[in-house]
Amino acid sequence: MKIRTSEYFIREVFLSLKRNNWMSVASIGTVAVSLFIFGMFLMLVMNMNKMAATLESQVQINVYLEDAVSREEARDMEAELKDMQGVEKVTFVSREEAMEHFKERLGDQKTLLEALDDTNPLPDAFEVTIARPELVKTAAESIEKMEGVESAKYGQDVMEHLFEMTRLIRIFGFSLMLVLALATLFIISNTIRLTVFARRKEIAIMKYVGATDWFIRWPFVLEGMVLGLLGSLVAAVVLRIAYTGMAEKIYDTLAFFPLIPEQPFLTYITIVVVLSGMAVGAVGSAVSIKRFLKV
Amino acid sequence: MIHMKDVMKVYENGAVALNNVNVDIRKGEFVFLVGPSGAGKSTFIKMLFREVLPTSGILTVNGRDVVRMANRDVPYLRRSLGVIFQDYRLLPDKTVYENIAFAMQVIEAPRRMMQRSVNSVLDIVGLRDKYKCFPNQLSGGEQQRVAIARAIVNNPSIVIADEPTGNLDPDTSWGIMDIFQRINAAGTTIVMATHDKTIVDFMQRRVIAIEDGRIVRDEAQGGYGYEN
Repeated sequence: MKIRTSEYFIREVFLSLKRNNWMSVASIGTVAVSLFIFGMFLMLVMNMNKMAATLESQVQINVYLEDAVSREEARDMEAELKDMQGVEKVTFVSREEAMEHFKERLGDQKTLLEALDDTNPLPDAFEVTIARPELVKTAAESIEKMEGVESAKYGQDVMEHLFEMTRLIRIFGFSLMLVLALATLFIISNTIRLTVFARRKEIAIMKYVGATDWFIRWPFVLEGMVLGLLGSLVAAVVLRIAYTGMAEKIYDTLAFFPLIPEQPFLTYITIVVVLSGMAVGAVGSAVSIKRFLKV
Repeated sequence: MIHMKDVMKVYENGAVALNNVNVDIRKGEFVFLVGPSGAGKSTFIKMLFREVLPTSGILTVNGRDVVRMANRDVPYLRRSLGVIFQDYRLLPDKTVYENIAFAMQVIEAPRRMMQRSVNSVLDIVGLRDKYKCFPNQLSGGEQQRVAIARAIVNNPSIVIADEPTGNLDPDTSWGIMDIFQRINAAGTTIVMATHDKTIVDFMQRRVIAIEDGRIVRDEAQGGYGYEN
């Protein structure tokens, strides 16, 4: 934000503080707090979604084959797996490859494997990637029933917990946002009601000389929108600072965490918050002038 | 211009304000509405600009059916009327000029017309040199003249005045009546509710007397008919 722009906003804020009473400040504050909490939930839910998506894209079923299965049979099974509903990719991992991977992972400790005397206890396996996470469970179950399959395993518990948590946060966030939106509407419509009341003589004269209802309404709707705008700007600035701060902390401690990058994410959040603020302001004032405008 | 047939108004508390009122007012007439307080004069006046709706009957003003009119058409009815009240109803934080121009602004009249129209009505009411004053710097008579200027600035075909001289001394009242006469002479219909016996008796215009919600007298050239 340019210095001139912020100066302008600050000047506007002070003008409005001067002109109106503490109700304006209360409205701006309520809008700011409500939209801050709204924004926090929005960012949380979006990050949870991102995390879920990241994990989901990594969802794969490890299918271990019985020892008796020959390579030809395995090739047939691969084709069969590829035909299954929801299967995106099937990779064959031979027992030799599996052993190589295992050795790599053991690193310095691979001498442990000498105890095996060159026998390979690992089975042949498929890595099956599933397109949609909700299909994983059924896919794993039907794969397990296939002939020649020893077992089919996936990160069942982690996924289910994550989904449950995202769902709860969505529900909780949504209910909280509803309550906050009502509170904001209430306080903004009260503020506008005071302005309308202070200008009721003017409104009466406007009606006598034939002003249309919308002509009378506009200034109040605009005032409500300005209150909403100011409150949402406060919320947006605090949200940006909070997200940047949290992102730094998280990158320091949990580098692998799939946080949504700050840009253009924060721009998007700012736009949503500011638009919601102005909409709430406009609706709030429309609600309160409706009763005053009875012809 | 104004046509009332079997008009009846019963308020929600059961009070009958107007009962079986039949009136026709033609273009260019000057009509006094007289009668005791609470007889129904205010209801009569308020129905003309649809602040009050008749309970039953037919009411047309300037060819518009006031009873069946949709709410969104009411502003356009009012643009063809000029309304003047006993208490002037000026905006205290606006100058004389701004108070009058305000009536043009709110109906979104073209900006270039504004100055000429405001100056011309200021001439009619004789307040050209006070256009910069605020209402509290003016006398009651001057404030009422500003209100008249505001009422006529949009060229209404009917001017409706509710006790316009009620707060003024006799000399000032004559000044106001002189303006009304000139507006009327220019072709504007005037309907004025009043308690001012001297004025009604002197002017010898049409007089409609209302008592208990009924028209008890309607004379083309009459006097006040009551003892003040």
